[in-house]
Amino acid sequence: MVEEVSDFEALEIAVRELSIEKGLFTAEDHRRFTEFAEHIGPTPAARLVAKAWLDPEYKKLCLTDAIKASLAVGVDWLNPTGFGTPSDYTDLRVLEDTPTMHHVVVCTLCSCYPRPILGFQPEWYRTPNYRRRLVRWPRQVLAEFGLSLPAEVEIRVEDSNQKCRFIVMPVRPAGTEGWTEDQLTEIVTRDCLIGVALPRPGMTTNIPLPVHQPAKPAHH
Amino acid sequence: MAESGNSNAAAEVPKWTPVPILEEIKEHGRVWEDLASQYGVTNPDPPWKTSLDGICEALSAGSCSSVAAAEKRWLDGRVDRSSMDGALPLLERRWEEDELSETLYQDVPFPERQLLCLAHSLIKRGLVNEQDLAARMIEVHERLNAA
Repeated sequence: MVEEVSDFEALEIAVRELSIEKGLFTAEDHRRFTEFAEHIGPTPAARLVAKAWLDPEYKKLCLTDAIKASLAVGVDWLNPTGFGTPSDYTDLRVLEDTPTMHHVVVCTLCSCYPRPILGFQPEWYRTPNYRRRLVRWPRQVLAEFGLSLPAEVEIRVEDSNQKCRFIVMPVRPAGTEGWTEDQLTEIVTRDCLIGVALPRPGMTTNIPLPVHQPAKPAHH
Repeated sequence: MAESGNSNAAAEVPKWTPVPILEEIKEHGRVWEDLASQYGVTNPDPPWKTSLDGICEALSAGSCSSVAAAEKRWLDGRVDRSSMDGALPLLERRWEEDELSETLYQDVPFPERQLLCLAHSLIKRGLVNEQDLAARMIEVHERLNAA
């Protein structure tokens, strides 16, 4: 347990209290959004992929109607918080990898991300460095994550936006024959669902990635 | 988005004016990485992170909690278009965070950097007063250390 109050902790509280007093939002709104932030994570998306690997009919549903498919993993995409959301989560799509096609997700504009089903973005996903370079040099950027794809594998970068969010459905890896849904869910990491890693038996964690400054400053 | 304007050459570095209270926190505030290490805590994020996310969401939503709901009221002709926007729209906040993260707060780790950027954006717009913030921080420190 941390037994001191940091300036950053005090700053968060001060900003919140002053904003509520000024009427920028209500305490109730803040409470609800914070509860939403507390409970989201990558598990529903991982389970969706695991279920799809095991059930061809469910896989079809994922690829044709991901919003309906997400209900089976406990996510009501159109009303994820139960009280509304500030972002337009109008659509969710599942991008199916094949042995010759690999998908990876980015948001070049800001940091749009399928939060209701995948949780909050990792820091590197938010950085201009990742956002700019991935669309220009996807193969090189993926290699920095330790994912070196053969030249015959085409890479498709999908740009998220306010209206549409994406998750990647990787190819089920060899060595997982006979596995249960729970076992499969464990190896579908957040990084696999963004497309910067591939699932493999024994790998259940994400790679910590150094964050780099962009060569040129952001200029919106 | 920069305070100095951004209509010139794209390569120009945005110039952001430092805010004294935030500079003080930047220089002397202890980041979660240090605190967690000292106290042997393994949480990757500080406990205030989700509350910070809640603030960002609430600011972009306004008191209506839902852009969709506001949009419907606008389409119904019940409110003006301007009323759909929250106090600090998401895209504006994120773009300012990009610029501030590469300038004033480039040496601050995440999510402390996200918090400083948010506070900077609020002060810049006059949504939060700098003197009020400094006074409230003292009060919060006293309150939390009272027991």
